[in-house]
Amino acid sequence: MELSDWDLVQKCQSGDMASFQELVSRYHQKVYMVVLGLLHNRDDALEVAQETFFRAYRKIRSFEGGSSFYTWIYRIAVNLAIDQQRRQKRNPLEFRETMDGVLEAQEETARDPFADVHDRELRENLARAINELTPEHKAVIMLRTIEGLSYKEIGEILGCSEGTVMSRLHYARKKLQDKLSAFL
Amino acid sequence: MRDCESIRESIGRWLDGELDTAESESIRAHLASCEECRKAQQQLESIDQILKTTLLAEAQQIEFLPFWRGVQVRIAQKTPWHEQALEGLRATFTLSRAAWLVPAGIAVVLAILSLDSYIPGLREGRNSFASVESIDAYGRNVALLRENESKTTVIWLYEDQEEENATADEPAKSAPAF
Repeated sequence: MELSDWDLVQKCQSGDMASFQELVSRYHQKVYMVVLGLLHNRDDALEVAQETFFRAYRKIRSFEGGSSFYTWIYRIAVNLAIDQQRRQKRNPLEFRETMDGVLEAQEETARDPFADVHDRELRENLARAINELTPEHKAVIMLRTIEGLSYKEIGEILGCSEGTVMSRLHYARKKLQDKLSAFL
Repeated sequence: MRDCESIRESIGRWLDGELDTAESESIRAHLASCEECRKAQQQLESIDQILKTTLLAEAQQIEFLPFWRGVQVRIAQKTPWHEQALEGLRATFTLSRAAWLVPAGIAVVLAILSLDSYIPGLREGRNSFASVESIDAYGRNVALLRENESKTTVIWLYEDQEEENATADEPAKSAPAF
């Protein structure tokens, strides 16, 4: 029987490293996805995702289960990513390079070359449009789109109300829609 | 009937499942009859879908073991030595792992309590809380037991059994031989 996140957290609080490893294995890709969506750079995203779990390990004894483990871990990840983004204003082209890498991997299975060109343009423009959003707007988009979290959970992670989450999400989607309407 | 602008404001929340049943029904009914709003809905769904598949494809390239090793290196490098030592102690003395301490503790206490049975004379001289003083007064044996803490004195009169025995033996020795 698979242990719940909370069971693993409690074992981890008693010093069981294997339980912490299990938590990392459950969430490392999801955390990486959110952070990559915010930072647009693979190396930075990997660094921040690993730092997220390190910080979680350091603070795990103070985690009392008031919220779910994934809400807690996303909060650490988003805060670190936003800090990182504010500290280092990176070249926005880096995200396009990241997206190109994914496209190359996907081209192998693409059948229609015209559709492929269209997809490439769409993805590049999506990357550019996302990069123009503020970190807070990016965060709501990533948490909602990738994880399908509720507005309440996103509010807990970002430390804001459900109303704020709703308005940020609406604004961010409107921006993306305006920039991409020609390709959709 | 709601207008298109109001509907488009709510499409995102509808897709996210954040509207109540009545509102959801109102959106669904409008979309069934309005092509423009349906297009807006499809655009939002496409954006979400592309974003998700793109990032998912990236995340799937992240293998667990190298990632975990990176976390372990951070834990080893960034944790101060005293925290690491404390962590080691905690890991050793967790409730489940420290169960051996209970019988071990009992064994140690029992061993200390029974030390004097193995080492004779260990406790001699330690009874300083009381003293016994023997006085030979008026031909009687008197002993004073003084207990220092409660300032109690017990006067103990006793007969010297050896002397008595010796006295008892004497007449036999001096008895005339018949």
